[in-house]
Amino acid sequence: MHEGFLTFLGENLQLFLTYTGFYNVTPGHLAMIVVGLCFIFLAVRYEFEPMLLIPIGFGMLIGNIPFKDAGLQVGIYEEGSVLNILYQGVTQGWYPPLIFLGIGAMTDFSALIANPKLLLVGAAAQFGIFGAYIIALQMGFEPNQAGAIGIIGGADGPTAIFLSSKLAPNLMGAIAVSAYSYMALVPIIQPPFMRWLTTSKERVIRMKPPRVVSSTEKIIFPIIGLLLTCFLVPSGLPLLGMLFFGNLLKESGVTRRLAETARGPLIDTITILLGITVGASTQATQFITVNSLKIFALGALSFVIATCAGILFVKFFNLFLKEGNKINPLIGNSGVSAVPDSARISQHVGLQYDPTNYLLMHAMGPNVAGVIGSAVAAGILLGFLS
Amino acid sequence: MYNRIKRNAGIAVLFSLLFSFGAGAQSATSMRINEVLVINEDNFVDDYGKRSGWIELFNNSAGTVNISGCFLTNDKNDPAKYPIPKGDVLTKIPPGQHILFWADGQPSRGTFHLNFTLDPTKENYIALYDVDRKTLIDEITIPPTQKTDVSYGRVIDGEAEWAQFTKVTPSTNNLTLDSNEKIDNLKLNDSIGVGMTITAMAVVFTGLILLYLVFKQVGKSAVAASLRRARKASGGTDAGVETGEISGEVLVAIGMALYELDQDVHDYENTVLTIQKVKRTYSPWSSKIYGLRELPRK
Repeated sequence: MHEGFLTFLGENLQLFLTYTGFYNVTPGHLAMIVVGLCFIFLAVRYEFEPMLLIPIGFGMLIGNIPFKDAGLQVGIYEEGSVLNILYQGVTQGWYPPLIFLGIGAMTDFSALIANPKLLLVGAAAQFGIFGAYIIALQMGFEPNQAGAIGIIGGADGPTAIFLSSKLAPNLMGAIAVSAYSYMALVPIIQPPFMRWLTTSKERVIRMKPPRVVSSTEKIIFPIIGLLLTCFLVPSGLPLLGMLFFGNLLKESGVTRRLAETARGPLIDTITILLGITVGASTQATQFITVNSLKIFALGALSFVIATCAGILFVKFFNLFLKEGNKINPLIGNSGVSAVPDSARISQHVGLQYDPTNYLLMHAMGPNVAGVIGSAVAAGILLGFLS
Repeated sequence: MYNRIKRNAGIAVLFSLLFSFGAGAQSATSMRINEVLVINEDNFVDDYGKRSGWIELFNNSAGTVNISGCFLTNDKNDPAKYPIPKGDVLTKIPPGQHILFWADGQPSRGTFHLNFTLDPTKENYIALYDVDRKTLIDEITIPPTQKTDVSYGRVIDGEAEWAQFTKVTPSTNNLTLDSNEKIDNLKLNDSIGVGMTITAMAVVFTGLILLYLVFKQVGKSAVAASLRRARKASGGTDAGVETGEISGEVLVAIGMALYELDQDVHDYENTVLTIQKVKRTYSPWSSKIYGLRELPRK
């Protein structure tokens, strides 16, 4: 009797052991946990996009706690689990438009309205998306997968998640993590190319100060912006519609409470849910594949192409502009829609060459144009490849 | 007062119109007769293991439609020949989905068994009427000389063109694709991706150039209007009229001031928590005697 009970206890403990993370751990889990810890370290130590890297990094830890697949409904890929339910916002693509609503409600398009030619810089930087698309095709990806990977070059996390959930859901985890990682690493990726592609004379170009923009212009902008872009690319409606709607809430001046909710509690809530679930979706068993590595390489490349395309376009554009109206090519990198990081980098690098030349307000123009441009590009890819 | 009533009435009309459009989108009027098989010899069988002609309906809307109470008929003079029973959960058709009715003349077999049959020797008229028995939702006349086990249906679900199908598709979409046409086309004609890149970049540039052109004009008008206002304010002279431009130094100074205000508005406070008794003067509002937790006196 006594011996039988001890055997029972031993078997129970053995069974329990098979359920623990220690028993089920694989090198892949450990690798992803290390990556998650790196994200948290970068966010805390260097403040690289902490709002994104902390939730994603911690999500990686959550997603990579090994467990026995015993129908416990704990994993993010197990239908009906809490994490799986929260992940629906990513897979069904309804988190990104809500994020865009918040972005619209917090973005001031004045710099762009004051100097609308900066819109073209935002358009040029979208070449990063299609450069990466071409390379992804050569690497053997299907056109729809290549489109989803290419959008990383737009440097816009919500857009990348939205498009990949529609075009290549199986690659979404890698694409989202890649997009957000490189957005956080913009301060490291962009400056070398900005210096390499510009001359010392170009770096000190002083741009004409922007004029004051009236409130009427600010109200007209989201309305005309929506009508023009969405009539041209209706498939971009979920993102562009919410972006411009959020901006109208901000600029109309009569919906202050709604605007504050959109740019405050709403975007914060969605960012938390998006970050944690995207991080958790990197479950090693699903995430560590050769394709994921390829996507990371392509993501870095797309950022580089986008940065170079923006800078080179400004240099080209300057050939047609009169003296005094020229654009400092150091704001070309801001055509990617990593708002406001890439604009801050323009300012930072610009100040290194002329401590009295403030480029931030000029760089915000292409930066917000990049948000519109990447949403338009996503709409085109969705239209062509879905 | 009159204007206010007029304005409110206008808003009410606008809302009622909007809601009526919204309601219309999910009513039975979006149902379509989608595919019909007249002669069923070696084809689909019903739940009783019997073969008979069938009529497929398709929900051509983005919302669930309940067809209970509607009427199916094969007689132009009797629109209410077969009333679709109410209370059957299966009469709720999800968006873009199909439902099949058996034309076996055996309504006692269930909701989806009609009280009429299809005649292979002549043309068959089939119609779907709304619950009011008057509103014709959809009708079709199936030509005579239908072939055995070949159905007659819309080429694409819900669209106008009809054709005969040797590959019948009861309860599912009529057009099925074995592959993604767009992707195949891209693979065949644009394996490098240059065509896609040129097209997409052209569209991105077109969109943003349009915005640029519009806002260039809007900006010019705004500057002109601002100058006009300034001139008017200064008594019609150009003296003191500003062009609306602010120097970079001024903008940076404003930006820095705002940043400092935002960041340093609070001093660091020590973390010692001091609890002091607060002297309260008596008020009936704070009195426990009048508190809500007090039980009512009987």
